[in-house]
Amino acid sequence: MNQVNDRNRDIGPFVPQPDDDQIICRCEEVTKGEIRRAVHDGMWTITEVRRCLRTGMGLCQGQTCAKLVKRIVAAELHIPQSELEPATSRAPMRPIEMRVFANEDGEVKTDE
Amino acid sequence: MNKTADVIVIGGGIIGCAVSYFLAKRGVRVICLEGSDNIGNGGSSRNGGGVRQSGRDPRELPLVMYGIKNYWPTLSDELDIDCEYHQEGNLRLGKTEAHKKILTGLTDRARAVGLDVRMIDGDEVRAINPYLSDEVTCASWCPTDGHANPLTTTLGFYKTARRLGAHFISGERVVALKKIRGTLRQVLCASGDVFEADTVVLAAGFASRKIAETVGIDLPMQEITLEALVTEAEPPMFNQMLGTAEADFYGHQTKHGSFVFGGTSGLEGFTTDDGTPMTDSRSAPCFCRGIIKYFPNLAKAKIVRTWAGWMDLTADKVPILGTVPEVPGLVLACGFCGHGFGIAPGAASQIAQLITEGKTDVDLSDLRYDRFTAKA
Amino acid sequence: MQRFDLIVVGAGPAGLSAAIEAAEKGMRVIVFDENAKPGGQLFKQIHKFFGSKEHRARVRGFVIGQQLLEEADRAGVQVVLDATVIGLYQDKEIVVKIRDEIHHLKGDAILIATGASENMVPFDGWTLPGVMGAGAAQTLMNLHGVLPGKRVLMLGTGNVGLVVSFQLLQCGCEVVALADAAPAIGGYGVHAAKVARCGVPFYLSHTIREAEGTDHVTGVTIAKVDEHFQFIPGTEKHFDVDTICVAVGLSPMSQLLKMAGCSMVDDPKRGGQVPVCDEFGATSIPGIYCAGDVSGIEEASSAMIEGRMAGEAIARYLGYIPEADCKQAEKQLERGLFQLRRGMFAPGRKGTKQETTDEGIRLSQTLLTKGYVADDEIERFPGVTHRVGVHPVIECTQNIPCNPCQDVCPKHCISIGENITSLPTVVLDSTCINCGMCVAGCSGQAIFLIDEDKGDGTAEITVPYEFLPLPSEGDTGTALGRDGQPVCGASVVRVRRSSAFDKTNLLTISVPKEYAMKARFFKRCG
Repeated sequence: MNQVNDRNRDIGPFVPQPDDDQIICRCEEVTKGEIRRAVHDGMWTITEVRRCLRTGMGLCQGQTCAKLVKRIVAAELHIPQSELEPATSRAPMRPIEMRVFANEDGEVKTDE
Repeated sequence: MNKTADVIVIGGGIIGCAVSYFLAKRGVRVICLEGSDNIGNGGSSRNGGGVRQSGRDPRELPLVMYGIKNYWPTLSDELDIDCEYHQEGNLRLGKTEAHKKILTGLTDRARAVGLDVRMIDGDEVRAINPYLSDEVTCASWCPTDGHANPLTTTLGFYKTARRLGAHFISGERVVALKKIRGTLRQVLCASGDVFEADTVVLAAGFASRKIAETVGIDLPMQEITLEALVTEAEPPMFNQMLGTAEADFYGHQTKHGSFVFGGTSGLEGFTTDDGTPMTDSRSAPCFCRGIIKYFPNLAKAKIVRTWAGWMDLTADKVPILGTVPEVPGLVLACGFCGHGFGIAPGAASQIAQLITEGKTDVDLSDLRYDRFTAKA
Repeated sequence: MQRFDLIVVGAGPAGLSAAIEAAEKGMRVIVFDENAKPGGQLFKQIHKFFGSKEHRARVRGFVIGQQLLEEADRAGVQVVLDATVIGLYQDKEIVVKIRDEIHHLKGDAILIATGASENMVPFDGWTLPGVMGAGAAQTLMNLHGVLPGKRVLMLGTGNVGLVVSFQLLQCGCEVVALADAAPAIGGYGVHAAKVARCGVPFYLSHTIREAEGTDHVTGVTIAKVDEHFQFIPGTEKHFDVDTICVAVGLSPMSQLLKMAGCSMVDDPKRGGQVPVCDEFGATSIPGIYCAGDVSGIEEASSAMIEGRMAGEAIARYLGYIPEADCKQAEKQLERGLFQLRRGMFAPGRKGTKQETTDEGIRLSQTLLTKGYVADDEIERFPGVTHRVGVHPVIECTQNIPCNPCQDVCPKHCISIGENITSLPTVVLDSTCINCGMCVAGCSGQAIFLIDEDKGDGTAEITVPYEFLPLPSEGDTGTALGRDGQPVCGASVVRVRRSSAFDKTNLLTISVPKEYAMKARFFKRCG
């Protein structure tokens, strides 16, 4: 996206919320409060929150929590969700054992 | 938006964030400009997390030793974030006589600068790390080396610098520097924004090359893609940082339990991408084969992610640090050659000291830009 | 390296349709799917599909899946299962994991048809075992034959929530309620009505406050929310349940496209992060195409057309058919897609508040909030007429893309017209022969055959019945209203099963004639 993003913009104070202890990222057990707190510590992008807290870094790679985290971060920053770039997609799309990843076999067998 | 400061730092990676932190701590007004959308988006977030002295060039070794002595042990407290620093040694592994020769050479040169590092045999290696295979026949062992979490450390410098008043702007890509009356004064951005300061620190990794060109300075660097991967969490196994004589694989187990391993496939510098660092389909399988040979019991560990990053490799493989006499006001802090993480606190603190006091605790003269200029 | 004309990722409706189209044009095509069975979500879909004949309307989803597989086989498409594509790299290279090996392949074209994954919504206790996606519950039931639970609360009233609720009931689960934070039911009214007439309550403007339990779900509390989706204290309702199904939308699984470097856009109307693509699914990278839910959440019917359009476009891109030849076919496909994308549930109308049907008839508000059309609302819809003798009563009150009722009646008693989203009407002067084809053929189970006055003070109502055990003639019990509440006693006078009905059995019940327009379901005594 590459938009000028002045990290000194005032986003207001951190106000505790009753559901701050709710888990948002199941794989890495990150709570809503931790995510909101990170935003107030300056983590203003999905990628920064992720690198700071490990949201979306677990086995499912954010398949479940990506939208949830985005909603929370956008609300905290008072910006539309569409302004937040999702995390980069990287191989492997599913976890894969090292011995399998290492095992490069030739062609896929077909009926031809 | 305020566009004037005492110092403008170009680059919001670990070097830029740490320089901003040390300057802000010294009461300097800093603006830090990051060209991408994310703080710490380059090599700072993509490296293997080594906080290592062994295996380094003697010219940069004093700087990293200074950082490990003065900053790393207390960095988590200082930055109010868990940097996950472990100082439990580095094993640089060898399997052949040729490896042993490389390792012995590195070890001898480091000892000459005063580093506690020595050669050990295969049995000693496995006494330190019992998971290593019998293929390992020797290693260099440096007990004061270690590793940390590059993601939290980089963002920790950012967070704390920000708290101390440093002004960060992301998505603000610098396109040119401009001298006013013979002294560097202005920083021009793609957005049209113009920033002004007495001093400009150029810490933008490989992007520094194009920016420096605008004031007639050529930094001899190449951009090389490196790749790494991470496993799912495994039970705790060991806390050493690992590397190899041929530098084909390196990594450690993180606090989280996952293993972060980087490697080389031999194709570095020849892969393609679309402007963002992309992984090559051949790299991760190659790394996995290498890792399994060293750690047979990781064969079933699952890889959850692979990634790529660029390093800024200088002609002589050490960073470019310090002032440039031809361009008063310019301070360089780039060209860290893919091992800028562990050295960052030491290097950044010295840059901050240089700017505020005009001198440094560690002699930086071997790392200055003028080493590349024509001999007088 | 092994090279194919086309590599398709995902053997669901979109991927298979594209592969068939491409293979029929002479291309060498291989399809990978990470699942053990092909068909994507089709084999979980035991209900009859909507649309028109060309969209395979009235055919159950899993049968469509079988048809597609047979077509793919005939066309010479290679379908490789248990094959996980782990990356889409530069130069259209994919890496696929098959058993304990990986393989590198390149395609002159790549089609990504990876579908979507289920959204989640956090509430206290949402990570407890027993909280699952509605699609996951459907997989358990319909693919693995495993009951997800015994007492279920469904969160979400889109088509997935409604369809899965009905299937849970068919499996013998008790569905205690459907809740939705939105003020109106999101899915087709006919799907809601099937569930409501079984007696399941709907709670709109309600969402889950808390899932209870220590190591698994033992209960749930829902509460009403205001227009800002904040809980209103004192409106809590508790249910003892062992399962909570969450049906709050889908997200495109577009990661392979993003990894490859395709331009992406965040489009809430299409379900999230989707590739920028043209109407044929061509992305920003030449030769990489997409089709189905991965390019925007829709129904399987549209995914199949999107797949065929992408297949055509790829054949043209690779020179397998001349430009001119595909124009005609493409036009027809576009028309088919256009038909599906009309009506009240059209992607373009998502999120807009609608008061009337396209014909200008006021919508049933009870249907939108409680899941059934109230007795005093039903008479204003054109499918509801009164005649002497047996005649169809069509309780289809929203503009949805569906017209099998028009095709299936041998006497042409029912008319929808050109536009398949129009409300069905009963043709004047037509003669109903009580064959039952309309009752069984309506994918929404919204058609009833009614003889309002048998002359002996009773009326006979024929209802679609897809539950086991099937009642027998002579069984007595209770007639339930559209709201699922008992309205009167009833006895079964006729049970019809036929291969033409495709497992939708017809139950004819006798009730006192004053209940002819109220009784719509039957519950046996005991």
